[in-house]
Amino acid sequence: MANARIAIRLAWRNVWRNTRRTVLTLLTILVGSAMIILMNAFAKGGHDQMIEDAVASNTGHIQVHEKGYWENRTIDYALKPDGALLDSLGKDARVRGASMRIHADGLLSFGNTTAGAMIQGVDPEAEKSVSTLHSSVLPGGRYLSPDDRKSIVMGETLAKNLGARTGSVVALISQGFDGSIAAEKLTVAGIFRSGNPEYDMALVLMPLAQADETFTMVGYVHSITLRLASPSDTAAVKALIAQKTDPRGIEVMGWDELMPELVQFIVMDDVSCYIFDFILFMVVAFGILNTIQMSVFERTREFGVMLSIGTTPGQVVAMVLVESFFIALLGIALGCAAGWGLSYYFQVNPIDYSDYAKEMAVWGVTTVTYPADATALNLSMTALITLALAMMFSVFPARRASRLEPVQAIRQL
Amino acid sequence: MGLITVRGLVKNYESNGITVRAIRGIDLAIGRGEFSAIAGPSGSGKTTLLNIIGGLDRPTEGRVSVSGTDLGTLSPRELSELRLRRIGFIFQAYNLIPVLTALENVEYVLLLQGVDREERTRRSMAILREVGLEAEAHRVPGKLSGGQQQRVAVGRAIVSEPDIILADEPTANLDQKTGAALLDLMHELNHRRKTTFIFSTHDSMVMERAERLIYLVDGSVDSDRTRGAAHFTRKKPAAAKKRK
Ligand SMILES: Nc1ncnc2c1ncn2[C@@H]1O[C@H](COP(=O)(O)OP(=O)(O)OP(=O)(O)O)[C@@H](O)[C@H]1O
Ligand SMILES: [Mg+2]
Repeated sequence: MANARIAIRLAWRNVWRNTRRTVLTLLTILVGSAMIILMNAFAKGGHDQMIEDAVASNTGHIQVHEKGYWENRTIDYALKPDGALLDSLGKDARVRGASMRIHADGLLSFGNTTAGAMIQGVDPEAEKSVSTLHSSVLPGGRYLSPDDRKSIVMGETLAKNLGARTGSVVALISQGFDGSIAAEKLTVAGIFRSGNPEYDMALVLMPLAQADETFTMVGYVHSITLRLASPSDTAAVKALIAQKTDPRGIEVMGWDELMPELVQFIVMDDVSCYIFDFILFMVVAFGILNTIQMSVFERTREFGVMLSIGTTPGQVVAMVLVESFFIALLGIALGCAAGWGLSYYFQVNPIDYSDYAKEMAVWGVTTVTYPADATALNLSMTALITLALAMMFSVFPARRASRLEPVQAIRQL
Repeated sequence: MGLITVRGLVKNYESNGITVRAIRGIDLAIGRGEFSAIAGPSGSGKTTLLNIIGGLDRPTEGRVSVSGTDLGTLSPRELSELRLRRIGFIFQAYNLIPVLTALENVEYVLLLQGVDREERTRRSMAILREVGLEAEAHRVPGKLSGGQQQRVAVGRAIVSEPDIILADEPTANLDQKTGAALLDLMHELNHRRKTTFIFSTHDSMVMERAERLIYLVDGSVDSDRTRGAAHFTRKKPAAAKKRK
């Protein structure tokens, strides 16, 4: 009890004994931990944004297919939509929208030009609540309307490759669900620019009713794509659907299974982020080690006197540790405040790379705004790790002080 | 019966492969309440002898016992405890913990001993009064003169009411007058409290004030003289005068 009081009193005063050094150490911890927090906030915010953009552009959070569809991606794997399930999902507050889709590969020709296309039959209204393609239609054209039949909307690059424009009539050749030949003449109602090179080069939207007829789907679809209010509900909603459907006939997939490359990219990005975190943590730790080491070294004689008059080595260790605990705690508090403040600023004012959208699209990156998101986990982990490192790195100088030979220590001046 | 008994004491230091024979066989008995000076030229072993008596250093050969306890049988922890409760130390300079006030420096020892707050403050204040530094109680060492700092160190040494106070050249960093006043203070405490004082010195003024003068040369006792109290010219310390 008395020991704790001496250790605390001495430590606190020693913290302020060499103000310049303490301020420098505080700055090291402050800048280091704030940078760690901000960097992780950018990673978190950026990744969430990338997921959100990918999910919103077409993929959705969850897709329900006939078992085997995702592996084979052929027209044969289709399912009959379960009306009761769709109804219950429509009432679920976690589900923002559900869209039934027909998928088929086909050839589009215009004049002498032919190009491969990914046809996606959608209910124009339902699709609006699931994806954002409707909002990327270029001026001069329009998105599909509920009573459209033989109209389509296609990606900008595809249109350019075909030489087609809004109002052009293009020919589609494909294969139907029943194996028959599917052929149709379709009018380009609009051209979209999604920013995703894959979609812009091949994706074609056509009305679900028309797709049903063209591909003789007889009421079957290839996917039910869901958009959720929050990605964190993905697992729960997936489980709910899995429970209500027959796992032998139906596959329910989350965005992470649908976009493994994105997950892989995020994991790799996280790894490089952790490496950088590690370096910053080490800088902070060695900053603390250096300060404590210096201050112990400068006080050799003082520790010698303390030990001579009956202070135990354990008490000396405690004094040094409490001292670095104070410095670390102060630095961490300041660092967390600064890190959170900076992250908040960049959450409200995300970094905007839209000027470089073209260059980034080449790399398959369609996300152009990068907000920061400092989570409680980020803040608390940074604080805890910094504190733990500070204490670990102080043990060495603390023990050194406690093991001084008083006789030798006092001889020094 | 001696409070401190030193028998066949030898201390060698090994440095860079050379053996330095700091103490080459000392036998000594110091009784309770003595006021003794250890004098001798530089390197004669004064500091070494005090450190060994105080349990800060271990002898190469021989035995030291304090109040019948052989220091050689004590563990480092027990030696630390002995220094906390039975022995007070005063060094040449920089005795004090710079971040603590004069009062807190004196209290520090009592804190280590686990004395409760009220008693701690009361006893420490009383001691500061005794060494004439009541007014400076709340100053940190940096704001005290060298002589005042040494008085605080004396206060810290006596506050735990130890049997022995060991002072290694306590006046070496002080001017003549301040040094004499410090010696007078120590002598007065020695008289009043019957605390045994052993101090080392180069200073003839300090030697004159000792009741017993142990003179070391090359790690051996060259002479050991006890003076009659009559030979001692005692002055009232300035601080003590002011108080009355
Ligand atoms: N730790 C040590 N290592 C090596 N030699 C030492 C050590 N401590 C003391 N000595 C040597 O032992 C001898 C006695 O030293 P000591 O400090 O006891 O002398 P002293 O009488 O106190 O001298 P001074 O008046 O200069 O303080 C000296 O030769 C000194 O160099
Ligand atoms: Mg000496």
